[in-house]
Amino acid sequence: MGRVGVGPIRRYEEGDELPPLVKEMTQEAINLFEGSAGQSGPSQFTDKETARETLGTEGTVASGRMSLSFAIEMLRRYFGSEVFNHAGTMDLRFLRPVRPGDTITFSGRITGMSREVNGSRVSVEITVVNQRGDTTAAGQGTAVVPNAFLPQDV
Amino acid sequence: MVEADTRILLDWDSLEVGETFDTYEYLLTQEMVDTYRKGVMDPEASFPTISHKVDVKQYNTRYRDAGSVNARCAFFCYNPPIAGKKISVRAWIADKYLRRGKNYIVTEAVSVDEDGRLIDRVITHELKQPTEVGKKWGG
Repeated sequence: MGRVGVGPIRRYEEGDELPPLVKEMTQEAINLFEGSAGQSGPSQFTDKETARETLGTEGTVASGRMSLSFAIEMLRRYFGSEVFNHAGTMDLRFLRPVRPGDTITFSGRITGMSREVNGSRVSVEITVVNQRGDTTAAGQGTAVVPNAFLPQDV
Repeated sequence: MVEADTRILLDWDSLEVGETFDTYEYLLTQEMVDTYRKGVMDPEASFPTISHKVDVKQYNTRYRDAGSVNARCAFFCYNPPIAGKKISVRAWIADKYLRRGKNYIVTEAVSVDEDGRLIDRVITHELKQPTEVGKKWGG
Protein backbone atom coordinates (compact mmCIF):
# COMPACT_ATOMS: atom_id res chain seq x y z
CA MET A 1 0.00 0.00 0.00
CA GLY A 2 1.46 3.34 -0.97
CA ARG A 3 1.67 6.42 1.22
CA VAL A 4 -0.66 8.61 -0.77
CA GLY A 5 -1.48 11.97 0.75
CA VAL A 6 1.38 12.30 3.22
CA GLY A 7 4.34 14.65 3.18
CA PRO A 8 7.97 13.87 2.41
CA ILE A 9 9.48 10.87 4.14
CA ARG A 10 12.67 11.75 5.95
CA ARG A 11 15.11 9.97 8.22
CA TYR A 12 16.04 11.90 11.38
CA GLU A 13 19.38 11.34 13.10
CA GLU A 14 20.74 12.65 16.36
CA GLY A 15 23.19 15.45 15.63
CA ASP A 16 21.43 16.58 12.44
CA GLU A 17 21.51 20.37 12.07
CA LEU A 18 18.41 22.26 10.98
CA PRO A 19 18.72 24.99 8.34
CA PRO A 20 19.20 28.19 10.38
CA LEU A 21 16.65 30.99 10.32
CA VAL A 22 17.77 34.63 10.31
CA LYS A 23 15.49 37.53 11.25
CA GLU A 24 16.21 41.24 11.24
CA MET A 25 14.25 42.89 13.99
CA THR A 26 12.72 46.26 13.23
CA GLN A 27 10.46 48.55 15.22
CA GLU A 28 7.92 48.24 12.41
CA ALA A 29 7.84 44.45 12.81
CA ILE A 30 7.44 44.81 16.57
CA ASN A 31 4.58 47.28 16.10
CA LEU A 32 2.84 44.93 13.67
CA PHE A 33 3.25 41.98 16.03
CA GLU A 34 1.83 43.92 18.97
CA GLY A 35 -0.90 45.52 16.87
CA SER A 36 -2.04 42.22 15.38
CA ALA A 37 -3.87 41.44 18.61
CA GLY A 38 -5.53 44.83 18.68
CA GLN A 39 -3.16 46.29 21.26
CA SER A 40 -2.95 49.98 20.42
CA GLY A 41 -1.72 51.62 23.63
CA PRO A 42 1.95 52.34 24.38
CA SER A 43 3.95 49.46 25.80
CA GLN A 44 7.54 48.56 26.54
CA PHE A 45 7.60 47.07 23.04
CA THR A 46 6.31 50.05 21.09
CA ASP A 47 7.12 53.16 23.10
CA LYS A 48 10.57 54.28 24.30
CA GLU A 49 9.26 56.22 27.29
CA THR A 50 7.18 53.28 28.51
CA ALA A 51 10.18 51.00 28.08
CA ARG A 52 12.31 53.41 30.11
CA GLU A 53 9.73 53.55 32.91
CA THR A 54 8.89 49.84 32.98
CA LEU A 55 12.18 48.16 32.13
CA GLY A 56 14.77 50.84 32.77
CA THR A 57 16.07 50.50 29.23
CA GLU A 58 16.86 53.34 26.83
CA GLY A 59 14.73 51.92 24.07
CA THR A 60 12.07 49.41 23.22
CA VAL A 61 12.58 45.65 23.19
CA ALA A 62 10.88 42.90 21.23
CA SER A 63 8.49 40.58 23.02
CA GLY A 64 9.95 37.17 23.71
CA ARG A 65 6.90 35.84 21.93
CA MET A 66 8.37 37.10 18.67
CA SER A 67 11.39 34.87 19.19
CA LEU A 68 8.98 32.07 20.07
CA SER A 69 7.19 32.62 16.75
CA PHE A 70 10.50 32.54 14.84
CA ALA A 71 11.65 29.34 16.55
CA ILE A 72 8.31 27.74 15.69
CA GLU A 73 8.77 28.87 12.09
CA MET A 74 12.19 27.17 11.91
CA LEU A 75 10.76 23.87 13.13
CA ARG A 76 7.64 24.13 10.97
CA ARG A 77 9.83 24.60 7.88
CA TYR A 78 11.97 21.63 8.88
CA PHE A 79 9.27 19.13 9.86
CA GLY A 80 6.57 20.45 7.52
CA SER A 81 3.36 22.14 8.55
CA GLU A 82 1.40 18.86 8.36
CA VAL A 83 3.53 17.55 11.19
CA PHE A 84 4.58 20.52 13.27
CA ASN A 85 1.29 22.44 13.29
CA HIS A 86 -0.49 19.48 14.87
CA ALA A 87 2.14 17.91 17.11
CA GLY A 88 4.87 20.49 17.64
CA THR A 89 6.08 22.09 20.84
CA MET A 90 8.51 24.88 21.65
CA ASP A 91 9.95 25.84 25.02
CA LEU A 92 12.24 28.88 25.05
CA ARG A 93 14.03 30.73 27.84
CA PHE A 94 14.69 34.38 27.08
CA LEU A 95 18.19 35.28 28.17
CA ARG A 96 18.87 38.74 26.73
CA PRO A 97 16.69 41.48 25.26
CA VAL A 98 16.24 41.63 21.50
CA ARG A 99 16.04 45.21 20.25
CA PRO A 100 15.12 46.92 16.99
CA GLY A 101 18.13 46.75 14.70
CA ASP A 102 19.26 43.35 15.97
CA THR A 103 19.82 40.45 13.62
CA ILE A 104 18.99 37.19 15.34
CA THR A 105 19.90 33.74 14.07
CA PHE A 106 18.05 30.62 15.13
CA SER A 107 19.90 27.30 15.10
CA GLY A 108 18.66 23.82 15.83
CA ARG A 109 20.24 20.41 16.32
CA ILE A 110 18.50 17.09 16.86
CA THR A 111 19.33 15.78 20.30
CA GLY A 112 17.22 12.66 20.47
CA MET A 113 14.36 10.52 19.29
CA SER A 114 11.90 8.40 21.19
CA ARG A 115 9.11 6.08 20.10
CA GLU A 116 5.52 7.21 20.50
CA VAL A 117 2.35 5.24 19.82
CA ASN A 118 1.95 6.54 16.26
CA GLY A 119 5.42 7.74 15.39
CA SER A 120 8.61 9.17 16.81
CA ARG A 121 9.17 12.23 18.95
CA VAL A 122 12.14 14.19 17.61
CA SER A 123 13.78 16.62 20.06
CA VAL A 124 15.66 19.67 18.86
CA GLU A 125 17.98 21.90 20.87
CA ILE A 126 17.38 25.54 19.96
CA THR A 127 19.88 28.39 20.25
CA VAL A 128 19.31 32.02 19.31
CA VAL A 129 22.21 34.48 18.96
CA ASN A 130 22.34 38.12 17.97
CA GLN A 131 24.80 39.84 15.61
CA ARG A 132 27.33 40.19 18.45
CA GLY A 133 27.26 36.46 19.15
CA ASP A 134 25.35 36.87 22.40
CA THR A 135 22.78 34.19 23.14
CA THR A 136 19.36 35.81 23.41
CA ALA A 137 17.32 32.65 23.90
CA ALA A 138 17.72 28.91 24.26
CA GLY A 139 15.47 25.96 24.66
CA GLN A 140 14.01 22.87 23.10
CA GLY A 141 11.43 22.05 20.49
CA THR A 142 9.84 18.74 19.66
CA ALA A 143 7.68 17.23 16.97
CA VAL A 144 5.94 13.90 16.92
CA VAL A 145 6.53 12.64 13.40
CA PRO A 146 3.85 10.11 12.38
CA ASN A 147 4.99 6.72 11.12
CA ALA A 148 3.68 7.62 7.66
CA PHE A 149 6.36 10.34 7.45
CA LEU A 150 9.21 8.04 8.53
CA PRO A 151 11.13 5.41 6.55
CA GLN A 152 9.59 1.98 7.01
CA ASP A 153 12.73 0.57 8.64
CA VAL A 154 12.64 3.06 11.55
CA MET B 1 -11.87 62.27 33.27
CA VAL B 2 -9.62 59.29 33.96
CA GLU B 3 -11.36 56.19 35.26
CA ALA B 4 -10.06 54.77 38.52
CA ASP B 5 -8.08 51.55 38.24
CA THR B 6 -10.19 49.08 40.18
CA ARG B 7 -7.90 46.13 39.64
CA ILE B 8 -6.40 44.32 42.62
CA LEU B 9 -2.81 45.28 43.48
CA LEU B 10 -0.80 42.07 43.16
CA ASP B 11 0.34 40.53 46.45
CA TRP B 12 2.67 37.82 45.18
CA ASP B 13 2.77 36.02 48.55
CA SER B 14 -0.98 35.59 48.68
CA LEU B 15 -1.49 34.74 45.01
CA GLU B 16 -2.87 31.21 44.85
CA VAL B 17 -1.57 28.65 42.38
CA GLY B 18 -4.60 27.18 40.64
CA GLU B 19 -6.54 30.44 40.57
CA THR B 20 -8.56 30.44 37.38
CA PHE B 21 -9.74 33.39 35.35
CA ASP B 22 -12.94 34.15 33.51
CA THR B 23 -13.02 32.62 30.03
CA TYR B 24 -11.77 35.12 27.48
CA GLU B 25 -13.37 35.11 24.03
CA TYR B 26 -12.39 36.91 20.85
CA LEU B 27 -13.00 36.74 17.14
CA LEU B 28 -9.86 35.97 15.15
CA THR B 29 -10.08 38.10 12.02
CA GLN B 30 -8.21 37.72 8.74
CA GLU B 31 -6.72 41.17 9.38
CA MET B 32 -5.24 39.90 12.67
CA VAL B 33 -3.74 36.92 10.86
CA ASP B 34 -2.31 39.07 8.05
CA THR B 35 -0.85 41.66 10.42
CA TYR B 36 0.73 38.94 12.56
CA ARG B 37 2.29 37.34 9.49
CA LYS B 38 3.77 40.69 8.42
CA GLY B 39 5.11 41.26 11.92
CA VAL B 40 6.89 37.92 12.06
CA MET B 41 7.88 38.11 8.38
CA ASP B 42 6.44 34.68 7.69
CA PRO B 43 3.54 34.43 5.20
CA GLU B 44 2.73 30.92 6.42
CA ALA B 45 2.84 31.61 10.15
CA SER B 46 0.07 29.45 11.52
CA PHE B 47 -0.44 30.51 15.12
CA PRO B 48 -1.32 34.22 15.27
CA THR B 49 -2.73 33.42 18.70
CA ILE B 50 0.84 33.83 20.02
CA SER B 51 0.68 37.61 19.76
CA HIS B 52 -2.63 37.79 21.64
CA LYS B 53 -0.86 36.90 24.90
CA VAL B 54 -4.07 35.25 26.05
CA ASP B 55 -2.41 33.50 28.96
CA VAL B 56 -1.82 36.79 30.79
CA LYS B 57 -4.72 38.83 29.42
CA GLN B 58 -7.18 37.89 32.13
CA TYR B 59 -4.50 38.13 34.80
CA ASN B 60 -3.91 41.71 33.70
CA THR B 61 -7.64 42.37 33.81
CA ARG B 62 -7.85 41.23 37.43
CA TYR B 63 -4.49 42.44 38.78
CA ARG B 64 -2.25 45.48 38.53
CA ASP B 65 1.46 45.31 39.23
CA ALA B 66 4.76 46.91 38.23
CA GLY B 67 4.72 45.12 34.89
CA SER B 68 6.53 42.00 33.81
CA VAL B 69 9.13 40.47 31.58
CA ASN B 70 8.65 37.20 29.77
CA ALA B 71 11.37 34.89 31.07
CA ARG B 72 10.26 31.64 29.47
CA CYS B 73 7.46 30.53 27.20
CA ALA B 74 6.32 27.09 26.11
CA PHE B 75 3.88 26.62 23.26
CA PHE B 76 2.04 23.49 22.15
CA CYS B 77 0.57 23.37 18.63
CA TYR B 78 -2.60 21.33 18.09
CA ASN B 79 -4.53 22.90 15.20
CA PRO B 80 -3.91 26.24 13.46
CA PRO B 81 -6.74 28.68 14.20
CA ILE B 82 -9.06 29.68 11.38
CA ALA B 83 -9.85 33.33 10.65
CA GLY B 84 -13.51 34.16 11.23
CA LYS B 85 -13.86 31.75 14.13
CA LYS B 86 -14.46 32.77 17.72
CA ILE B 87 -11.78 31.54 20.10
CA SER B 88 -12.32 30.81 23.79
CA VAL B 89 -9.42 30.84 26.22
CA ARG B 90 -9.27 29.28 29.65
CA ALA B 91 -6.35 30.53 31.74
CA TRP B 92 -5.07 29.95 35.25
CA ILE B 93 -2.12 30.49 37.56
CA ALA B 94 -0.06 27.35 37.05
CA ASP B 95 2.79 28.09 39.46
CA LYS B 96 4.81 30.78 41.17
CA TYR B 97 8.40 30.68 42.38
CA LEU B 98 11.19 32.74 43.82
CA ARG B 99 14.58 32.56 42.10
CA ARG B 100 17.62 34.61 43.06
CA GLY B 101 15.35 36.85 45.10
CA LYS B 102 13.05 37.57 42.14
CA ASN B 103 9.37 36.75 41.93
CA TYR B 104 7.98 34.78 39.02
CA ILE B 105 4.41 33.87 38.07
CA VAL B 106 3.59 31.03 35.68
CA THR B 107 0.34 31.32 33.73
CA GLU B 108 -1.13 28.66 31.50
CA ALA B 109 -3.88 28.93 28.90
CA VAL B 110 -5.69 26.64 26.49
CA SER B 111 -7.45 27.96 23.39
CA VAL B 112 -10.38 26.25 21.68
CA ASP B 113 -12.40 27.54 18.73
CA GLU B 114 -16.18 27.74 18.39
CA ASP B 115 -16.29 24.29 16.77
CA GLY B 116 -14.47 22.74 19.70
CA ARG B 117 -11.13 22.37 17.88
CA LEU B 118 -8.23 22.48 20.30
CA ILE B 119 -5.91 25.24 19.02
CA ASP B 120 -2.94 25.58 21.33
CA ARG B 121 -1.64 25.64 24.88
CA VAL B 122 0.78 28.22 26.21
CA ILE B 123 2.72 28.36 29.48
CA THR B 124 4.51 31.57 30.35
CA HIS B 125 6.96 32.39 33.16
CA GLU B 126 6.89 36.10 33.92
CA LEU B 127 9.43 37.94 36.04
CA LYS B 128 7.46 40.46 38.07
CA GLN B 129 10.36 42.87 38.57
CA PRO B 130 10.74 44.21 35.02
CA THR B 131 13.34 46.86 35.94
CA GLU B 132 15.80 43.98 36.33
CA VAL B 133 16.13 44.09 32.54
CA GLY B 134 17.53 47.62 32.62
CA LYS B 135 19.73 46.87 35.63
CA LYS B 136 21.22 43.75 34.05
CA TRP B 137 21.41 44.69 30.40
CA GLY B 138 21.61 48.47 30.58
CA GLY B 139 20.12 50.71 27.98
